[in-house]
Amino acid sequence: MAKHETPLLDQLESGPWPSFVSDLKQEAESRAKNEKGIEYQIPQDVCEDILGVLELSYKHGRTHWKHGGIVGVFGYGGGVIGRYCDQPKMFPGVAHFHTMRVNQPAGKFYTTDYLKKICDLWEFRGSGVTNMHGSTGDIILLGTTTPQLEEIFHELTHNMDQDLGGSGSNLRTPADCIGAARCEYACYDTQALCYDLTQEYQDELHRPAFPYKFKFKFDGCPNCCVASIARSDMSFIGTWRDNIRIDQETVKAYIGGEIAPNAGAHSGRDWGAFDIQKEVNDLCPTGCMYMDGDKLVIDDKECTRCMHCINVMPQALRIGEDRGLSILVGAKAPILDGAQMGSLLVPFIKVEEPYDEIKEVIEAIWDWWMEEGKNRERLGELIKRQGFQKLLEATNIKAIPQHVQEPRHNPYIFWKEDEVEGGWDRDINKFRKDHLR
Amino acid sequence: MAFISSGYNPDKPMENRITDIGPRKYDEFYPEVIRNNKGKWKYHEILKPGVLVHVSETGDKVFTVRCGGARLMSVTHIREICDIADKHCGGHVRFTTRNNIEFMVDSQDKLDPLVKDLEGRKFDGGSFKFPIGGTGAGVTNIIHTQGWIHCHTPATDASGPVKATMDTLFEEFQDHRMPAHVRVSLACCLNMCGAVHCSDIAILGYHRKPPILDHEYLDKMCEIPLAVAACPTAAIKPAKVEFNGQTLNSVAVKNERCMFCGNCYTMCPSMPLADTEGDGIVLMVGGKVSNRISTPKFSKVVVAFIPNEAPRWEQTTSTIKRIIDTYSNDAKKYERIGEWAERIGWERFFDKCELDFSHHLIDDFRDPAYYTWRQTSQFKF
Amino acid sequence: MDRDEAKKAIVETLEKKAKTKSKFYLKDFYKMVPDEKPRAVKNIVNEMVGEGTLEYWSSGSTTMIGLAGTGKQAAAEDED
Repeated sequence: MAKHETPLLDQLESGPWPSFVSDLKQEAESRAKNEKGIEYQIPQDVCEDILGVLELSYKHGRTHWKHGGIVGVFGYGGGVIGRYCDQPKMFPGVAHFHTMRVNQPAGKFYTTDYLKKICDLWEFRGSGVTNMHGSTGDIILLGTTTPQLEEIFHELTHNMDQDLGGSGSNLRTPADCIGAARCEYACYDTQALCYDLTQEYQDELHRPAFPYKFKFKFDGCPNCCVASIARSDMSFIGTWRDNIRIDQETVKAYIGGEIAPNAGAHSGRDWGAFDIQKEVNDLCPTGCMYMDGDKLVIDDKECTRCMHCINVMPQALRIGEDRGLSILVGAKAPILDGAQMGSLLVPFIKVEEPYDEIKEVIEAIWDWWMEEGKNRERLGELIKRQGFQKLLEATNIKAIPQHVQEPRHNPYIFWKEDEVEGGWDRDINKFRKDHLR
Repeated sequence: MAFISSGYNPDKPMENRITDIGPRKYDEFYPEVIRNNKGKWKYHEILKPGVLVHVSETGDKVFTVRCGGARLMSVTHIREICDIADKHCGGHVRFTTRNNIEFMVDSQDKLDPLVKDLEGRKFDGGSFKFPIGGTGAGVTNIIHTQGWIHCHTPATDASGPVKATMDTLFEEFQDHRMPAHVRVSLACCLNMCGAVHCSDIAILGYHRKPPILDHEYLDKMCEIPLAVAACPTAAIKPAKVEFNGQTLNSVAVKNERCMFCGNCYTMCPSMPLADTEGDGIVLMVGGKVSNRISTPKFSKVVVAFIPNEAPRWEQTTSTIKRIIDTYSNDAKKYERIGEWAERIGWERFFDKCELDFSHHLIDDFRDPAYYTWRQTSQFKF
Repeated sequence: MDRDEAKKAIVETLEKKAKTKSKFYLKDFYKMVPDEKPRAVKNIVNEMVGEGTLEYWSSGSTTMIGLAGTGKQAAAEDED
C-alpha cells in the first residue's frame, strides 16, 4: 500500500516511454521490502515521500523545494547542492534532500562492478534515486541528509577512488564525446584530453576560483555531439588541415546504390535513389566538390570541414590525417545578456601530451578573466564587454581573418598612441605656423 | 536506524582525508573490443534504428544497441542494466550525452539475444524499460533538467513533460523517417542549467509573475544586500515597509523590470515566485549545434506561453507533434528544422505549423534584438 | 603583506561589514589584499576555508564566501 495517493503521477505510468514514476515506485517497494536487510541511513520511505511531494507539485503546479547554500563537504566549494522540502512535516523522508555530483568517467563507459558499488553506497546512504547523468555530465546522486554527505564522500574517495564534480564558481566537471574510443570521425582523443585537464585543474574544480562558472567540453569533430560550441566557455573541437581521404571505388558503390547513404540514417523513408550531385556536391557549403567523370574531386583548400560529405559517405570519405583541434571560447546559455555561441580563438593546435600549448591558452584566459571579469560575468560576456581584441592580447594571439565572420561594420577603431606614427603629443605652436587662429 | 560510520571522524575532518583525486580513468572501463580498436575505427553503419555497427581497420566489429532511458533512474533500475550488461556484454555498459544507454557486443551472434532481452523488459505500469532507437534521422532522447522533482526555481516539471513528449514522439524515436536529426531538450526555467538554446525543439519553463514579498520574515531570513545584488536587472532595492504598525526592513521590486529568473529566491527564501497560473512553457525551435552544412544556430521562440497541464501537458506535446509533422512533410532530405524554417521563411513557418504570431515573439531584449528584425523588402505574403 | 597579515586583513574587513552582509564574491576579496594577484588571493581564501575560518555558500551557479557560522542563511536553511 503506497504511503501517499498519487492519482496524477499514476497517469505517467502508461505509454511506451520508460516511466520514471514506475521506476520510483519500484524503488519505494524495494526499500519497503528490504530483502537484503540494509541498515538504511536515511528514511526507508524516502521514495514514497518523493512521490508524495511530486504529486503535490502536480496538484499545485508549483515546486516544493527550497535552496540550501551552506551544505557541502569540508574544504570543497562544489559538488553538493543543498535542498530542503517546504512541507517537511508532510514528507519527513525528504525534509533534507541534498544532491551530490560525482565526476563521471570520460566517455561515460562503465563496468558493472563500478556501477553496482555506486548503487550499494547510494541505497545505503541516500535515496537510491540518481540521474544518469546530469546536464553537465556528472553522475547525480539525488537526495540525502546533511550528516551523510561527509560519509558518502569518505566512502567514495577511500573505497572507490572516486571524487566529486564541480558546482558554483568553479571549473565545472569537464565532459567529452565518445571520441576515438568508438568513432571514426574523432580528430583527437577526447577522453585523454578531458581526463588530463580534469586532473590538472582539480583545485579549480573543487574550490571557487572564478567570477562565475567555467566549462570545458570536448568534441572530437565538427558534428559536436556534446554541444561544446553552444554550452562551454572553452570548446575543443577536433579538426584537420590536410585532405579528406577518398576511396574512389567506394564512392562508386554509393553512387551505384550498393551502400546506404549516411550510414543508413534515413532508412525509414523512401527518398529515392542516392544522387551524389544533389545530396552531397550541391549541399557542400563551399561548393568545393564536383564529379570529374566518375571520379569525385574535392578542392580541399576550400573545404571548411563541415562533415556533411563524410557523414553521407562514411565508408568512402575519411577525415584527414594531420589532425588537431580548434578552440572556441565564450559560449553560454541566454542568461543574462543573451545566448552566445563559442567564438573561434585558436584555429588549429596539435593535441599532444602533455598538452602544454593548450594549457597555456587556458591559463592566459583564466588570468585575464579572474582579473577583469565582474561578479557573475561569464567569459563570453567579458569578451563582449571588453572586445575580442582584449582576448587576443591576453592570450598573445595574432589577429587573423579566420577570427571573424566578416570585418567590422563601423570605422570606429580605437587607435592606440603607439600605433600612430609620431604619437599623440603635438606642438600647437608648430601647427599654428600653417593654420591661423 | 542506527548511524553507521564510514570511518570519517567529524571532529577531525582532515584526518586521512583524500581529496582532489578526480574521476576514475576512462580506460579502466573500456570493453576489450574498444580497448583494442580505439583510434582504429574505419566506418559505421546503422543496421536498424537503435542498432549500430562500427568496423575497425583490424577487422574487429562492435555492435551497439542504444536504448532510451529516463535520466531519473533508481538503483534498482541501474542494477537491472548491470544484469543485462553482465549477461550479454561482459560487464560493460555506457551512457550517451543524451541519456541513452548503450549496450555493446563484439559479434553479430550476440546481437539478437541482447535485442530480444531488452525488448522484453517492461515496468509494472506497462512502459518499456529499454526502448531501442534514438539513432539517425529520427527523434532521440530528450536532455533535460530536474523540474519539480528537485529544483527550487522551476516553472514546470521536467521528467513529466519529457515522458509525455516522448510518448507522443515514440514512433519517431524508433524510426528513421525524419529529414534529419531532431534534437529535443527541456530546461525548467530560463537559467537553463540544461542548455537548450541550440535545440531543434526546446521546451522551456517560464515564470510570468514577479516574486511575492514575505515582508514579515524577509529581514529575519535574508540579508537584504545579497537579495538586492542577486537581481540581474537591478529591479530590487532595499525598502522600509509598514507591517502591523511596525516599520520593517525589506525590499521593493520594480515589477516591470523583473525577468522572472528566480535568482533572488535562491538568495532569499522570502521571495518565492512560483505560481500556478503564472508558470508554464515556452517553445523554441530551429537551433542546432552541429557545423554540418550550415553553421550552428540558436533556437527561436515560436510559442510564447502554454500553461502547465500536469500530468500530461497535452497542448505542449500536441504543438510539438504538429511542428515536427509539418517539418517532416515539408523539409528536404538532410535539412534540420532551423534550415527548413530559414529556407521557407519564418512567416511561412508560422502558416504551415498553424501557430499564432504575437508581439511577444519579436525580440526586445538588449542589443541582439535589432538583428532579428527584417531589414529587407523581401518577405512572403 | 605576508600570508598571515593578508588573512588578518580579510577577517577584519569581514567583521567590519558583518552587520549588513555576511557573504561576498571572491572578487570582493581582491580589494582586501590589494598587493596580491587574484590567483594568490584565491589561494589564501581557499586556505582559510580549509582552516575553518571562512565558509562557502553556494547558489548552485555561483559561490559566495563569508566568516564561518555567520549570517542568516544557517537559520533559514535549518542547518544551525
